[in-house]
Amino acid sequence: MYLKNTEVREKKNDYLKEKYYYVHHKSGLDVYVFPKKMSVTYALFGTRYGSIDNIFRLKGDKEFTEVPDGIAHYLEHKMFENEDGVDTFQRYAKYGASANAYTSFQKTAYLFSCTDNFKENLEILLDFVTHPYYTEQTVAKEQGIIGQEIRMGEDNPGNALAFGLLKDMYAQHSVRKEIAGTVESISHITAELLYRCYNVFYNLNNMSLCVCGDVDCEDVLSVCDRVLKIGPELEIETLRETEKPEVAKKRSVKKMKVSRPIFDIGVKNIDISPDPRERMRISAEIGILTNMLFGGSSDFYNQLYKEGLLSSGFGIWNEYNRDYSFITLDGETDDPEVIYDRFAEYVEKVKKEGIDAAEFARYKRVAVSDFVKSFDSTSEIANNMQEFIFDGGDILDYADILGTVTADESFELLKKLFREEYYAMSSVLPLDA
Amino acid sequence: MSVIKKKIAGGITLNIIPTEKFKKEYLSINFLTPLDASTASLNALTVKVLKRGTESYPDMQAISRALDDDYSAELYDKVYRRGETQVFGFSCLTLGGDYAVDGTDILGEALKITGEVMFRPALDNSVFKEEYVESEKKNLIDEIGAKINNKNSWAVSRCREIMCEGERFAVSELGTAEDVAKITAASLYEHYTKVIRSCRIEIFYVGSADEEKITSDVKALMSPLGDVDPAPLSTEVIRKARHEPRQVTEDVAVKQGKLILGFRTDAVLSDDDYHAFTLFSEVYGGSPSSKLFMNVREKLSLCYYCWAMPDAQKGVMFVSSGIENDNKQIAESEILNQLKNITELDITDDEFDAAKKSLVNGYKEIYDGPGSLESWYMGRMLAGRDDSPLENVERIMSVTKEQVAKKAAAVTLDTVYFMHGTEKADDDNGGDE
Repeated sequence: MYLKNTEVREKKNDYLKEKYYYVHHKSGLDVYVFPKKMSVTYALFGTRYGSIDNIFRLKGDKEFTEVPDGIAHYLEHKMFENEDGVDTFQRYAKYGASANAYTSFQKTAYLFSCTDNFKENLEILLDFVTHPYYTEQTVAKEQGIIGQEIRMGEDNPGNALAFGLLKDMYAQHSVRKEIAGTVESISHITAELLYRCYNVFYNLNNMSLCVCGDVDCEDVLSVCDRVLKIGPELEIETLRETEKPEVAKKRSVKKMKVSRPIFDIGVKNIDISPDPRERMRISAEIGILTNMLFGGSSDFYNQLYKEGLLSSGFGIWNEYNRDYSFITLDGETDDPEVIYDRFAEYVEKVKKEGIDAAEFARYKRVAVSDFVKSFDSTSEIANNMQEFIFDGGDILDYADILGTVTADESFELLKKLFREEYYAMSSVLPLDA
Repeated sequence: MSVIKKKIAGGITLNIIPTEKFKKEYLSINFLTPLDASTASLNALTVKVLKRGTESYPDMQAISRALDDDYSAELYDKVYRRGETQVFGFSCLTLGGDYAVDGTDILGEALKITGEVMFRPALDNSVFKEEYVESEKKNLIDEIGAKINNKNSWAVSRCREIMCEGERFAVSELGTAEDVAKITAASLYEHYTKVIRSCRIEIFYVGSADEEKITSDVKALMSPLGDVDPAPLSTEVIRKARHEPRQVTEDVAVKQGKLILGFRTDAVLSDDDYHAFTLFSEVYGGSPSSKLFMNVREKLSLCYYCWAMPDAQKGVMFVSSGIENDNKQIAESEILNQLKNITELDITDDEFDAAKKSLVNGYKEIYDGPGSLESWYMGRMLAGRDDSPLENVERIMSVTKEQVAKKAAAVTLDTVYFMHGTEKADDDNGGDE
């Protein structure tokens, strides 16, 4: 059946000098085309289905279904096998695309980048993701491969550090669980369970396609018309365990083969706005605040660096989305407890003294410049764009929102976010420590 | 997009890659010197100390704030290796001039800061400040130690060190902790003043600035040096393994074993027919449609990753994989078996075509990133050539299976390194706490 498209809408941002086209395709799929004169065209086909969606039901279902940890990621691997026995990588290989996929807490995304044969490659992407094929044999075969992926993760100190912290912060929320699950949990995955998850989450109304590159909107839509069938309108309800505002545990320590202790301090936040535009604004504020407080130009970082307590590997990670929110600070140091104490003291001092409006304005300019710089890569644009879309936001509006945040509001937010009972720290120490 | 070469002074070349593609401008200064155990640590430490402070920006925070004020310009220090050449220096990434609301010359300002960092360091008693040198020594020693944290790359480095013992290729680009510990503020300063005048200096600019303007900016930037007198660069190539394959096993406290096969390839970039070798390594282990991926991973489910990584300057190749300890023999023989299959012309048309298209796609992708363009041309220069990625497209397309089989047959196994994991796998979740 040939599907006609509804209206193509154009969205522009004059400061960024960028635009994209949006179509709600008749199949139910939201399609975004971001034109960019680059060699590489990048396409990202994603579903709002990640590792945290492990207890769910459809409208009309009485009971929730609980599935084994790691199943979203397992499903992602198994999508690459097809009924005719030809692996998806081999299909792409005919047209020279470089293909991949990833699963995060909140989404599963399939992607390719190519410099030729865009329409052929897009057809493969849309086709294989909308045609699941799992058998008990093919499912069993993947145990060995994913088992080794999990082992590699277990040997990665950074991974142990981050999940140690998530488990400290969250008592219940499934963001505390490893994305790929464990060797034990994935042993319970069956073809039937994969189909169950697929049929719920891989309906086109729950998905989006983001294409960035030197492409024509019409080309994208003509492939969509040819490949996509109308998806059922399902109402998915995902169970999120309620969390207390305080962290579940203040500390966790693990010993591994590392040369020097590594630490990760977390600030948990369960107060999340239900309004997507408000979320964009608060995200912007958190980004500016954390760079101002802890970034490369901050007093905190420079003082601790000078004292030999921190080195250049110090990093900041902010999350603020509909499902969870936290701030983390990670790095290497000889004694993690010293960093924790200094962090807590410093934040109290800032809370007491307030923030300087002119300083805040400087960091706002930095944030705007950094954001403009993120529009030089088709993969970066498509991935960022989809992050915004899945949280109800908009990548081109974000630049304007960055310009409107104020020091006063951000200071109020700071006082709300940074409280001792929301802090936790995970560390990984050398085996002989 | 071709390269315009400008002689800045004796031994100093500016390579301009003009493009309107990016919102950013990229300028990078590379000091090239022979990789040598006696100087590796000194060179690595030099750039780190230079980043600590200058005459006008006395500390790191002052430098960082000046960069922030220049539309969040980024300045990175770097140390890496190419064959037996050590490269150190700085890269500068700035927002394009048309985003300056006040007419600021954004790149020009960033180059003033970069020039200060390179040539007007903060001194005490006519040598580097002791405080900075001691603090960066500690950071560098920690960085050398922290290489163990990434087990994949650690295992490859161990294989390289063992296989190339006695060759300069075995030297780490960061040197050793023992060598770093011996450095003093005076010895480092003396080294610095000499080494910056005895390196070949290759500067890359990628962006839309006018050729004359960028040339005169770079001339001003480098004027403190005048003509330099570069030490000759070379890499010793051992074309065939000189002994029966060596087997080395080391116990490390991790769960996953890492198997690395080190080969002498009889192929280096300065060879006229190097592209035939490139195609061989792509067919063998360069993409998800390669023989290693399709067989060691997909068919036998032994691993999550299995790649072949050639070094074009040195004429070596490492095949790297993460496996269960017990699967070492079977993985090793399958990796060698796939190599043998290629020598016997057991390559399907699909495999061959896929490898060519994958390489061609990769060549065209290079044009989308300033860093990838620089990396391509730097490699070419060291091999005494200047062909562009696009010129290699035709070359790759004309290679025959027989040529690939011949390249495969010339590869000899030198060293098999196995990092044997001694940690028990805890398969019941929750063992992490």
